[in-house]
Amino acid sequence: MRYKISFILIFFTVLFAAGSLPAHHSPSAVFDMEKKFTVAGTLTQVDWINPHIVVFLDAKKDDGSAETWKFESNPPSWFRRVGIARNDLAKAIGQNVTVEGARAKNGSLYGYLLKITFLDGNSLELLFDSPNKTP
Amino acid sequence: MRHRFVFVFAAALLVLTGFVAADDKTGVAANKAPRAADGHPDLSGIWAYAIDLPPVVLKKQVNGSVSTKTIDQSWRESAKTPVPGALPSTAAPSYKPEFREKVKHLFDNESKLDPVFYCGKPGVPRIGSPRRIIQLPGEMVFLYEDISGDPYRIIPTDGRAHRTDANPSYYGDSVAHWEGNTLVVDVTNFLKDGWFGEGGYFHTDAMHVTERLWRDGENLVWQATVDDPKVLTAPWTMGPRVVKPSSDPLEESPPCIEDDGNRLLNSDHHQQR
Repeated sequence: MRYKISFILIFFTVLFAAGSLPAHHSPSAVFDMEKKFTVAGTLTQVDWINPHIVVFLDAKKDDGSAETWKFESNPPSWFRRVGIARNDLAKAIGQNVTVEGARAKNGSLYGYLLKITFLDGNSLELLFDSPNKTP
Repeated sequence: MRHRFVFVFAAALLVLTGFVAADDKTGVAANKAPRAADGHPDLSGIWAYAIDLPPVVLKKQVNGSVSTKTIDQSWRESAKTPVPGALPSTAAPSYKPEFREKVKHLFDNESKLDPVFYCGKPGVPRIGSPRRIIQLPGEMVFLYEDISGDPYRIIPTDGRAHRTDANPSYYGDSVAHWEGNTLVVDVTNFLKDGWFGEGGYFHTDAMHVTERLWRDGENLVWQATVDDPKVLTAPWTMGPRVVKPSSDPLEESPPCIEDDGNRLLNSDHHQQR
């Protein structure tokens, strides 16, 4: 767990604080870097939009009621250049997926997607680059 | 006779090699760049994407097989050596004293006040180097991929003057001419209150931008100078950007729908372009 927190701290430090990104603000203004969490549910929507792609999940709470989670992630221009197209995610619409992310500071059902695992076990994960390499 | 021929040939080769080496050292690579039919350097082609991308590695797992993919953005790093042909540059523009507080306020609140953060058009020069250049007799066509959309610029190079009937715009009105191996683009007629750079660099409708583009070997170099006598104490020349050729074809940019503004809990922000 401690490793995970360190990982996420380094990740966001490299990614957002020191970096130059095609987004508009530092996600530290929106997301809590120490609150990495996991949500499993049905992928319902994938919006391939700037400045961040967005995915929606319908998940069940412990009491059985449903809640809709929204995750943003890297910009579409980044996904395109690492070889990921919208359909690589959208093909799983209607299926159960697991998303790991960082939680929005305002406590809403909102997060930054860091990893998505599909029903077949395949996954896409965002990793920080070498800490020595500044963008 | 045969030995004399070999000697002369070897000497010529050495001299030629020396010239080539000297040429490289003095950085006259532009002279070796491809040329268009009219004899000017050929700037046409697809050039690397101009916007910073996250320095993030994609880890992909498919059927138990793991692969990673990294984006090479090394070309965006500052040149380790002086760029041949570049003008002297400074890190930041110099505003008149009465505007410095405004610049600081804009910078401090950039994540809330910068129109570009909310899908606004970056304009010239903030959009950076073109993604594709089409070089035609008498005009250049610059194509861009941008978060706000995919603008184009058609820039006469036939000696005509600026249009007098054009409406002010984010990308201004451009005309260009050649100065040696450098294409010099003169841009005027901007909308007021845009930002020509992060850091709260606002401008007025008096902004005048000069872009310079030239070849450095296989690469394109782009450098811009901004003048705005209403707010700056002197023209500002930013550092040159050396842009690699690219095989990545242009693609329509997805729509821009900003949705984080109401979630910002502080003013943290970062450089974009």
